[in-house]
Parts: sequence; C-alpha cells; structure tokens
Amino acid sequence: MNVARDNILRRVHAALSAEALRPVAPTSAPVFPPITDPEARFRAEFVALRGEIIENAATLRAFVNGFAKIATDGSELTNKIIGEPNAGVRECDLGVTGCDYLVAQTGSIIVSTLSAGGRALSVLPPTHLVIAQHEQMVGDLASATALLRKRYDKHWPSALSVITGPSRTADIEKILVMGAHGPKRLALYFAD
Amino acid sequence: MTTPTLLQFERDATVKAADLRHRAVIQKNIGTYNIAVANGRTRFADWQNARSHAAAIKWETINHLDRYLEQFEQNVLTNGGHVFWAETAADAREHVLQLARRHGVQKVVKSKSMTTEEIHLNEALEAAGIHSIETDLGEYICQIRGERPYHIVTPVMHLTKADIAQTFQEKLGAPLTDSAEELAMIARAKLRHEFMTADMGITGGNFAIADTGMIALTENEGNARLSFSLPRVHVAIIGIEKLIPRLEDLALLWPLLAASGTGQALTAYNSLIGGPRQEREADGPQEFHVILLDNGRTRLLADGEQRDALHCIRCGACLNACPVYSNIGGHAYGTTYQGPIGSVITPHLPDAQEWSHLPYASSLCGACTEVCPVRIDLHHHLLHNRRNAIQRRFDGPIQRFLFRAWFWAMQSPVRYAVAAKLGNIALRRGLAHLLLKPWTAKREFPTPPKQSFRDYWRQHERRA
Amino acid sequence: MRVALFIPCFIDQLFPNVGIAMATVLRRLQVDVYYPPDQTCCGQPAFNTGYWDEARALARRYVEIFADADAVVSPSGSCTAMVRNFYPELLGKPTQATTHTYEFSEFLVKHLGVTDVGARFPQRVTYHDSCHALRELRLQDEPRQLLRHVQGLELVEMDQAETCCGFGGTFSVKFPMISYAMDEVKVSSIQNTGARYVVSTDSSCLMQIDGYLRRLNLPIKTISLAEVLAST
Repeated sequence: MNVARDNILRRVHAALSAEALRPVAPTSAPVFPPITDPEARFRAEFVALRGEIIENAATLRAFVNGFAKIATDGSELTNKIIGEPNAGVRECDLGVTGCDYLVAQTGSIIVSTLSAGGRALSVLPPTHLVIAQHEQMVGDLASATALLRKRYDKHWPSALSVITGPSRTADIEKILVMGAHGPKRLALYFAD
Repeated sequence: MTTPTLLQFERDATVKAADLRHRAVIQKNIGTYNIAVANGRTRFADWQNARSHAAAIKWETINHLDRYLEQFEQNVLTNGGHVFWAETAADAREHVLQLARRHGVQKVVKSKSMTTEEIHLNEALEAAGIHSIETDLGEYICQIRGERPYHIVTPVMHLTKADIAQTFQEKLGAPLTDSAEELAMIARAKLRHEFMTADMGITGGNFAIADTGMIALTENEGNARLSFSLPRVHVAIIGIEKLIPRLEDLALLWPLLAASGTGQALTAYNSLIGGPRQEREADGPQEFHVILLDNGRTRLLADGEQRDALHCIRCGACLNACPVYSNIGGHAYGTTYQGPIGSVITPHLPDAQEWSHLPYASSLCGACTEVCPVRIDLHHHLLHNRRNAIQRRFDGPIQRFLFRAWFWAMQSPVRYAVAAKLGNIALRRGLAHLLLKPWTAKREFPTPPKQSFRDYWRQHERRA
Repeated sequence: MRVALFIPCFIDQLFPNVGIAMATVLRRLQVDVYYPPDQTCCGQPAFNTGYWDEARALARRYVEIFADADAVVSPSGSCTAMVRNFYPELLGKPTQATTHTYEFSEFLVKHLGVTDVGARFPQRVTYHDSCHALRELRLQDEPRQLLRHVQGLELVEMDQAETCCGFGGTFSVKFPMISYAMDEVKVSSIQNTGARYVVSTDSSCLMQIDGYLRRLNLPIKTISLAEVLAST
C-alpha cells in the first residue's frame, strides 16, 4: 500500500480529464540533414571538439608511452592493442576502453558498462583512449539508439554514456576550459 | 496587491536595473550565447519542424502522464532500482534523509539539479549533519559563496574571473590567478577527492524514459557521471513532468536541449542510468533510487490551458531571450525558477498571491515564446496568469476601482469624450503629476494636443 | 471597398497626427475611408491587466461598430494584434471584424500590394520593431519595404531592432525601473546607428523611446511610420 503513489496517480488521472490544446503538428520531413560521408563527418566533428585521432600503430605506441599508469577495460581487443593494465582506475593517468558505437552526426562515442569496463573508467582518468573499429560507425543518433536497443533490449547495462568530446566547462565568464571533471583529453584509435 | 515579496522584488529589480556593470556582464554573456545558438540551430534541417516534433513528444507524454509514470516505475523496479513517490518537497527531503541514515552517509556529492534547489535539499542535509557538496563548477562556486544559482544553465553568469579567484582565495586558500583554466583546475582537484570519498551521489534527471526505466543526464563537465559512478548509493530526484515515452525520443531531445541551452551539437556527456551495478559489471553503486516529485505539478497539470508549461526541458533559452531578465538578472525574481518559465509556473504554487506580481513584471514582448524549443506558449500564459490573479481578486481595491471607472468611460463614446477632455485639460495644466510620477520620474510624458483625432475628423469631414 | 479607420484611444488623444497621416496616405491611394465615431478603445489595457470580462465587453462593442467594414485599418500593431489575435479567444470565435482588421503597413503591402506611396523623407532613419507587430502579426519586412521606397530616406538597421523597448502598457508604470533600463538599452542601440529619426509602426513604443530621448535632450527624434509615409 503506497499512499503517496496512489494520491499522485489519482491526481494525475483527474487532472487529465481537462483537455489541452495540441501544438502545431510536425511534418514528416527529416529533422536533420542527411549525412553523406559518415567517416568524414565523424572526423570533422570529433576534431572540432578537440578529440584526438591516433592515425596509426606507431603514433599509438608513442601516445601510450607518454603515460606511466595505464588502466584498461581488460577486453580482448584492448589487451591485443594495448596490452595489460598496470594501474587501477583511481590512480591511472590513462584509461583505455572499447565502445559501442561512433556517431558521425555529432562526433560522439557511445560507451556502456559492458563495452567500456564499467562506469568510472571512461570518465575518471585524466586522459581517455578509445579503441574502436570502423564497423562501429553509424550516421546519426536515431540509428545509434535503434542499434543500442537491438543490442541491449533483452538486458540493458545499468549505465551508458554518449561522449561528445573531452570534459569541458564555460561557467567562468563563458571561457572554454577543458577537463572540468572528466577527461581533459579524449583520443580515438581505429584497430582495423 | 502589495505583498512583502512584491516590495522585495521592486527593491531588487531597482538595484539591479541600475547596475550598469551587472547589465554589461549579463548582456555580454547573452551575446555570446546568441551567436552559439544561431550556429547550433543550423544543424537542424528545419528548426521550426524540430520544435514541433519536440512539442508533440512532450504533449503525448504529459497528456498521458499516468500511463507513462507507471510504465517507468515498472521498468525501474524490474532493473533492480527503487522508486519513491514524493507528494511534497518535505516528503522528498525526508526520504533522502532516511536513505542517508540507513546507509550511514556522511558525505554527499551532488550534480546540478534545479529540482534539488526547489526542495531545498542541501539545507536539510546540512541540518542533519551530512556534508553535501555541489560538484558542477558554477554550482560549487555558488555554494562556497553562499548564493543561490543565478541561471538555469550558467549558475555564475554574473561573476567575473576576479570574483571567482577572490572566492577561491578566501574559502580554499588558493593563490589568486587570472586564468580561467587554473581556477577550474583548482576546483577539479578539490572535488576529485570528494567524489572518491563520498558515500552517496545525488543527481537530478533531464529526462525519464518510460519504456526502458532510465534517467537521462545531460552535462558538460562529467561531475554527474562521477556522482553516479563512484559513491555506493545513487539517488536521482526528478519532477514527474520529466517523463518521455521512448529511448529513441532522445535522438531529437538531446540535440534540441544542447542547441537551445548552449548552442552545442550535444553536450559532452549524455548518460543513461537504468539501475544499480549488475553482477557482470566492474563498478557502480549498490543501490539506485529514483524519487518522483509532485510538489504542485499535478495542480499545473489540471490546468488544461497552461499544461504545456510542464513540457519545459529546462534549457534556459527563455531566460536568455527575455529583456527583463537581461536587465535585472536571476536573483531578483526570488524564486527557484526564474525568467519567463518561472513567472508562468510559480503562480501555480500554493502561495500564489505572494508571487502574483511576477506575470506582470513583463512587457509581454513574446521573445520567450519565439525561442522555446518545445513551443510552450509562454507569454500568453503570463496573460492567463494575470487574468487568474484578477479572478482571484489579488488586485487591490484602488486598481479595481480605477479599471471599473475606465471601463465605464470606454463603453460610451460620449463618456469617453468627456473623460478624455478632462484628462486632456489635466495633463495640459500639469495636474496629473502624482498619477504620472512612475513615468515622469525618468522620462518625459507627451503634452496632449488641443485637438484630438475625432475632433479633427468631425471638423474636417463636416466641411468636406 | 469601404475601409474603416480604427484610431486607438491613445492615438486619438495624444498623437492625432498619426491617424491623420494614415488617412491622408490611404486617400492618396484612392481608398474610400470612413471613421466610425462611436469607437473608443479596443480594451487592451484591461485585457493585459487581467480584466477579461471588461475587455470582452469592449470587444463586443468593437465587433458591432466595425461589422459593416470590408476592412478596418489601424496605425497600431498592438491594437491590431489585440483585435485579430486575442478577440477570438475572448469572444470564443473570430468574426468578420476581427479577421479583417489590419495594421497600416500590413494593409498597404499585403492587401493593396503597394510599397511605394510617393513619399519623400530625406533623413537617416532606423526602424524599431514593435513586439506586437513583429511577433503577434509577423510584420518585419513590410514596414521596411515601405521605408525603402521613400525618396531620400536612408534606412540603417540598429543592433537590437527586435528587442523590446520596455513599454508593455501598464508595465511601464508598474515596474518603471525595469521599463527604464530596457528603454536605455534600446536608445543606446539607436544612437549607435547615427540615425536622426527612429520609426515604428507603434506610437506607444515611440512614446516610450521619446520620453527617454527628450529627458536626456538627445538629438534624435521619433516619428511614426504613417507620418513618414505621409511626408512629401
């Protein structure tokens, strides 16, 4: 017996007996312009957000060598590309994860607890490196949500995040500062 | 009717409206915002159509809210979370305190949430000896200054770097700096420690998705993500109006919120929380609690005329468009929700008479309605609230008498002409001094010509 | 076509020249105009303050008085908006009089198809968009088209043309400090154009702006669109 619940639902139901005007109906025209070249669009968006694309294995080596303490999601792909972690998520200076999808429309990377080793690994480290594959690229958010539903509808992970660039704030005089709380740097490497 | 709240508002508005430095800061920020938003809108094939889509989604949800609330609750429970229904602010506060006591919570980290402001949660936590820390940079600065947040999206819009550096020096012992980056890093370092040692994370929610039982959280900094990832308990407090039907609706609403709020394509982090840590997951809180808050929303829901005010996605666009807001700022309103949306919804709260002046503190320019991404008929609702105030006799006897007299005169051309003639004479002889004082204190009032239009027409048309 | 003149109460009493100018221009364009003398006020002050019963009674009066007109034309965006957009809400439905009431510049451009009325006004002028004209009647281009065809007139756009001047009816005396600040911002925007005149469809806005200009003795004048169009 939940009195508050009953009260609220009863009030909601009673409230809705009065009609409300419908707003102007939308048309069936697409809300967003079509994306003709997802790869190019993703790259442009991601770089504009100050995301860093690591172009090849040699650059990756150099990049990773710049970090002493590395935490990873322990996945097969990450182990193959980066190797074993040598730090935990709280002490590391680099966190390496996989991802679910890349979204060209907004230059976003979608992660979940299952694709990125939990919740903290993709937000706590000062630098976040994502290992992705080209087949994970989708055009727009609508496609991404549809694919996420297909992948997870039977059993959703407890948390997902759509990451669009490194952490940032403009709270101070509207001056853009990177790395407010989440990673200051966000890097992406295509394993294929 | 003159209430103490009105007098306070008049005092604050007078001070702020004359404060040219304050005005310059706000207007500069709004200028930057306007450029960013104009840019952000170009990402949509048709901005007006996008608004219509969003309005339709919210209309569908709000007008079938009971169904969606039940569906949402069912899904949260299935995924291992808890749902608490709070009829009032006090109920919500009490439940949070109960959860805190049950889990031996001493420290809370909070991400930005107007809903937690609305229920005055921090005061209740502090009173119970629980240290509650705002982690959004702007909110953190407000907290250590002891101020309420200034604006729905940019809490310290009114402060300069120097103001903030001063605060950090006084309260944190940090060295003075002129660099926004250094200031942000000072806060980052301090708060990182708090995230890692907090017992409970409290967030709001931008949307609640009925068909998956998830809360959606929009942010740029990452503090919400840290608040729901590191502490062992996560509590999300949301108004019942935050519901949306489907996950797929976010493909429109996330970009729309970002475009209107800051002009971005998307904010840095848009997260979905569906429950506590699962066995197969590496980390996460042991418990996930959603508090569904009514606190007067069902009253607004019952008003079929203004129900669409519940469509609000808290983007802040109406504040930025409002010329009143840009001149008096946020604090002067004295309410949790400021600007046009605040003036629409606040009169629906229990102490309506106290806030009945807010809908009148507007020139009804309509800029707010023009920019609202979910097509709330904001400025017309201000008119509706004014009508409601008169119907409830919140006007004083003097005003009522004046309008009755004016109306009596306007109903007959003869009475009108006589009244107009008397008024004309009074104005030309400078007899209406006192009545005109609010105007003439700082502006000239025109001297009426001897001959009115109707006199002229009668004279010339008779000849013709 | 019989066109009735709807001269708002404050124009009748304070700015009759605006009404006279409008009638002059219409007659110059061979429009058959007449002035129903029984008209008083559209009721907007009552409506905006929340006295809807009183406003409704005045709306009924208006509809009766202008029932026979083919079109009703007014030199006021705000009064036109009151009749066209808000009378239907007050009365429950639109009527002939409410649907056929037009603001002056709207009538000229959209109904007579005229943008050049043969006017001459060799001055540097900036245009202030009245909120009602802009957002309720969606008039932005029409007044500017008319101004661009005035001989010798140099039209410069101000930075904040669309920002409210701060009048808002009783708002200007209920919250004068806010109204004044908005006035100040508007005048600053006007000054930056270097214009000698500021024009608008709405004399209420011009009264607000003029009040500030005159108190501070600034070398800028206000003038209604009707008066500019009547100039030769």
